[in-house]
Amino acid sequence: MAKSRTKGLVVGATMFVTGLLYFLLASRIPGSGGVDASFFPHMLSIGMILLGAIHLLQSWRQPVAAMPQEMSDDIVEQARATAEDEDALAGEMAPDYLSVVLSLLLIGFFVLLMRPIGFIFAASIYLFLQIALLSPSGKPIPWFRLALMAVVVSAAIFFLFRYGFSLMLPAGPLTPFLS
Amino acid sequence: MVDLFAAGLLAAIQPQMLLLIFLGVVVGIIFGSIPGLTAVMAIALCLPMTYGMAPAAGMSLLVALFVGATSGGLIAAILLKIPGTPSSIATTFDGGPMMEKGEGVKALGAGIVFSFIGTILSIIALVFVAPALARVALSFGPHEYFAIAIFSLTLIATLSSGSMTMGIFSGLVGFAVSTVGIAPVDATRRFTFGMVELNSGFSILAVLVGMFAIAEVIKVAEAGRAGSNIRITAPVMKGVKGFGFSMKEFFEQLPNGFRSAVIGIVIGILPGIGAGTSNILAYIAARSRSRTPEEFGKGTLEGVVAPEAANNAGIGGAMIPLLTLGIPGDAVTAILLGGLMMHGIQPGPMLFVTQADLVYTIFAALTVSAIVMLIVEFYGLRIFVKLLAIPRHILLPMILVLCAVGAFGLASRIFDIWTVLGFGILGYAFVKAGIPTAPFIIGFILGPMAETNFRRGLQLSQGDYTGFLTNPISGAFLALAALSIIWQIWSGMRKRPARTSS
Repeated sequence: MAKSRTKGLVVGATMFVTGLLYFLLASRIPGSGGVDASFFPHMLSIGMILLGAIHLLQSWRQPVAAMPQEMSDDIVEQARATAEDEDALAGEMAPDYLSVVLSLLLIGFFVLLMRPIGFIFAASIYLFLQIALLSPSGKPIPWFRLALMAVVVSAAIFFLFRYGFSLMLPAGPLTPFLS
Repeated sequence: MVDLFAAGLLAAIQPQMLLLIFLGVVVGIIFGSIPGLTAVMAIALCLPMTYGMAPAAGMSLLVALFVGATSGGLIAAILLKIPGTPSSIATTFDGGPMMEKGEGVKALGAGIVFSFIGTILSIIALVFVAPALARVALSFGPHEYFAIAIFSLTLIATLSSGSMTMGIFSGLVGFAVSTVGIAPVDATRRFTFGMVELNSGFSILAVLVGMFAIAEVIKVAEAGRAGSNIRITAPVMKGVKGFGFSMKEFFEQLPNGFRSAVIGIVIGILPGIGAGTSNILAYIAARSRSRTPEEFGKGTLEGVVAPEAANNAGIGGAMIPLLTLGIPGDAVTAILLGGLMMHGIQPGPMLFVTQADLVYTIFAALTVSAIVMLIVEFYGLRIFVKLLAIPRHILLPMILVLCAVGAFGLASRIFDIWTVLGFGILGYAFVKAGIPTAPFIIGFILGPMAETNFRRGLQLSQGDYTGFLTNPISGAFLALAALSIIWQIWSGMRKRPARTSS
């Protein structure tokens, strides 16, 4: 309960601050007064600030878990439970935030390297490392098979899009060899 | 109208188009059936393939994906008791128990047949309602469009899952993101921070792919290596043959299927509440009208027919506001809108005047897709069942790479891939904070429509705000928007004391 209340307060504060930042940025838009280019951004930011304040207040007054739900029909409740089944399966384990950060870094490097080393190499490296990172624990990772799959899939995507759908993905060092 | 539809049908059954529709339906069913993969992902991944195609061919592929993915959800819902898509949630209630009772084939067969019937009924509604609505919408001006945009935004924000404050906030953030770039009417630069790439704002596809596909990949990463140990085992399908139900049972289910389809169509037309809601409402309606309501949840055929007819009926329903007004009802139709715009097609009433042949080819492609879906699911069920066992830790990184390809294809810029990644992180943050993503998308799409028409409307009425209220259509929609908010606040306040006392 206390945890969801804290979460509610953090989310509410984030909503409030987002609105405030957006308001400050909107104030820098050159305008003529009245309904100009800054009118809607200002209105939106005021809305965000108000909603953030309401959410903060709601979270402060009662735990998030007890907040009113839109629908309380038994079937709807059952639907909610079913929809969350999958997440619940994974949810029994603590979220692996290290894995999230590493995955984001891998994606970042993939995008960063795409132009200089070309799509095939960048995607191969990304796929290899990402699949290895998420491979089931307790089982040996089939490194060779994984590397082969990463290269084959990346090359297949590259050639399919380049020659099949005329999409010129960055070829990097392979450029002189391609027509 | 008949001539145009016949011409569209002729175009849709050309070998190249048939092949595209077949591929679209198959890929759609795969994405619909595998939990964690969605129709949005399927369409986002196939969009770059349509870049070089003619608009009719490209749109046929995309609608085939839509039909396949909506129907594919029933496979996992019945066999694994996990909804492949949110639109198949209610299918699990009776589909799962039927499978346990050894009536899995009957449940799958009925689900497939009534998905088909639901789709066809919704296409009929689309063919008749859309042109008529488009004719009415031709007379709409900025006042009406502004009011419709506000009404749609309000509806999705108040009816989305989670708390109303979160829903409205999500819509406002989406709207705020759409203000990046050159402002409508006076062309002032906003929030570009001197970056030329931001002048035209964020691409709708980059936003959608990021919020839905990339966020999903990050969610898989969150489960880490331990999460990859959760393996889905494909059920044994030995002896599965035919649709598994008798003609008597078919005729008995027709009224239920028809009622559910009507619910699906009506809900589909309303912006913001798509098949994810209609399948549950149809299930509730079927239970309340049933002679044996006590059998619901224990494995009754009625409980499978209702959600499956309703969710597929949402296809035609959702296409009505999309094609006639350019308003998408959910994320799937939002990405279809992106696909249309990428091919230089601006949905709206004028589309029915200037490109009627394209509109009717889309209608025909939907019909052919429904037929292909029926055949493919009938003969190919065993193959789709095997695909359920593909591990997600292999599939999702590949999907990410394909998303990057799609984003790059928008304008051959690495910048767009960074945008996708950025929105992926935002989507993940939304999921963690419990903020619904659907209002964000609708806010992003309808925001510019609301802003442009508000400013144009004010110019037309010489700065007089009352023009929006005195115009009958605009006034009615704004009143409905206000009523929707008041009703939500009132029902929230009514429930609060009840919960407190309990």
